Amino acid sequence: MTVHAPSLRQEWQIGPFRKGDIIAGLLGFLVLIGLAAGVGRLFAGMGATTSLTDAYPWGIWIGFDFALIAFSGVGFTIAAVVHILHLHQFQPLLRPSILAGLFGYVAVLMLLLLDLGRPDRFYNFLLFYNMHSPLFEICWCVLLYTTVLVLEVSPDLLANLPWKWPLRLVYRLMTPVTIIGITLSTLHQSTLGTLYLNMPHRLHPLWYTPILPVLFYISSILAGLSLGIIAYKIAMAVRGQKENPAIAIGLGKGIVAVALLYLLIRVGEVIYAGELPLLLTWTPLNRLWLGEILFCSLIPIVLWATPSLRRQPWVHWVAPLSALLGVGMNRFNATLAAQSAPTSAFYSPSLLEWFSTLGIVAAGMLLWYLAVRFVMGSAVKLGYEQH
Amino acid sequence: MTTTQSELSRRDLIKGMGCGVAALMLSSAMVAHPELAHASDGEESDSAWGILIDLTRCTGCQSCALACKETNDRPNPNQTPIGLDTDAYSFVEEKQIENSVGQTESVYVKHQCMNCLHPACVSACTVGALRKTPEGPVVYDADKCIGCRYCQYACPFGVPAYEWENPLGLIHKCQMCADRLAEGESPACVAACPNGALRFGNRKQLLAQAHAQITSNPGRYVDKVYGEYEVGGTSVLYLSPVPFSFLGFPELGDEPNPRYAEAVMKQTPAIALTVASVVTALHLFMQRRQQVNGEATVHITSQKPGDEL
Repeated sequence: MTVHAPSLRQEWQIGPFRKGDIIAGLLGFLVLIGLAAGVGRLFAGMGATTSLTDAYPWGIWIGFDFALIAFSGVGFTIAAVVHILHLHQFQPLLRPSILAGLFGYVAVLMLLLLDLGRPDRFYNFLLFYNMHSPLFEICWCVLLYTTVLVLEVSPDLLANLPWKWPLRLVYRLMTPVTIIGITLSTLHQSTLGTLYLNMPHRLHPLWYTPILPVLFYISSILAGLSLGIIAYKIAMAVRGQKENPAIAIGLGKGIVAVALLYLLIRVGEVIYAGELPLLLTWTPLNRLWLGEILFCSLIPIVLWATPSLRRQPWVHWVAPLSALLGVGMNRFNATLAAQSAPTSAFYSPSLLEWFSTLGIVAAGMLLWYLAVRFVMGSAVKLGYEQH
Repeated sequence: MTTTQSELSRRDLIKGMGCGVAALMLSSAMVAHPELAHASDGEESDSAWGILIDLTRCTGCQSCALACKETNDRPNPNQTPIGLDTDAYSFVEEKQIENSVGQTESVYVKHQCMNCLHPACVSACTVGALRKTPEGPVVYDADKCIGCRYCQYACPFGVPAYEWENPLGLIHKCQMCADRLAEGESPACVAACPNGALRFGNRKQLLAQAHAQITSNPGRYVDKVYGEYEVGGTSVLYLSPVPFSFLGFPELGDEPNPRYAEAVMKQTPAIALTVASVVTALHLFMQRRQQVNGEATVHITSQKPGDEL
């Protein structure tokens, strides 16, 4: 090799100290607190550290799990847009999105480890099968799909290896791996809805419907496309590059279609099931349902479908964040608010639940930031890919 | 490197076939094994056991609840339980009911696992730690359990209890004394009842007896056997002097709760195959369309350095 090996700073294009690094430091602080909280839970048990009871056995850990899995739908939706639909104008979204998907699932796995009563036996779903259990299928799909995401981000790591055969192998496998990833995502994103089908006695009728799997799947696409825009915008800022507003606008038009479909099915189901009278009273639950509809569908549809609005830079933040808020609300409502406990029990998460959850979410964001800043795009930079 | 059109399409074909095979492997890995066939698939066996609880005969003496604690080796065996938890798999609740002449009287209600014929907990359990036996009991294998607590959500009666204070917690519930049944004995609660309020026997015969009792004792019972049809039927059955809703029994439909989830789960291999095929076809179609349209196809194996992202 040549004598003038580039310094580490030049090679990885580490810029000067940035605003993002301060945020990363704060995230790191949250991770440390979360780590302490997580260790506390593992050694002291859930009785001493959480507000969970037999009446409310699942709390914000599961709520965040479900919301994060829906958000992490960004991995399969953007991969489908670029690799399956061959809409290559969205190529710049791909890397930030796949990384966001990967670290979203990493956060989910960490949360699950805290939530399992027997984290020491987490691998039991590999040994003992129950084909009827939605959770069994979700466990397998999340495991396999996380592997898919690792393969999808691997070129940027493998490009730096002295041997090139692993990189060539991964490139050769990329198309089938993407297709398998979309299949696995379709299965477990919908099965998260199937999981609630076993709870007709607990889940409020405005949420309970036999077509929950379909609703969960469509809303994960809605959340995934929306997070794709956010991930792209932040990644561009982190890398100090100029973003192309046409990309967000283009994807926004797709979001209108998905949000409309979701709105039609969601409202149509309530009408078909004769549950419309339930909405005529002004109760906290009804407000939550209407809030979901507003944030998931109505706001994104109006903002993305109006030509004068969708050119506004603020819309490129507000519309996707609104969709994420709406889908997140939906997952939390299904897990907590719309669940009636068998007794008049009450659940209010403990501080440790909050700290451990925030720490894990912060860990996912921090890993994403570091990957975007230092690793993303190496395969392109080193000349193994072009666009 | 130049590639002709025919070479390209041949490579695509191989790619597509590879994807198809992968999808097939994936879905075949998910096809249910016959030995895992679920309880709710089959009809109730004629020989399955049941317990008939006659609430008109219960005096609230707590013998059954204490015998349950002892037989299941629970702590504080002499302390009367007041709810279902990890220390007590059954308890007797006192309900104050106003009778037809305006006086309040007590009805004692024994609670425990209903040992459903189509148990939602069994259907939900991630690792198959819960199982419906042909003899009737819904049994729990603590060695498989990962503590996910989905069974607690699935159960319409709020029965499974979790060891919250244990850092490595497990689930606890009445298993209809499956061990005693295997040795030809009746469940401990039934054996302990001094008043004949609990009866153990063949579930179908118990149902026939219950209906005969209702007919031959007009006014003594409401004309309903709780558990005959609820969520597809339960192994534990109740006779009551007052409507079951007065006693806080949940009003559940006759259909087993897992019916929708199981119907969807059975379609898993079909969904996987369909999605993989449609996505593969879409990929090939869109790729082809771009080639025909003369747009530059992106080949990620290209050697030229490109843009940053």
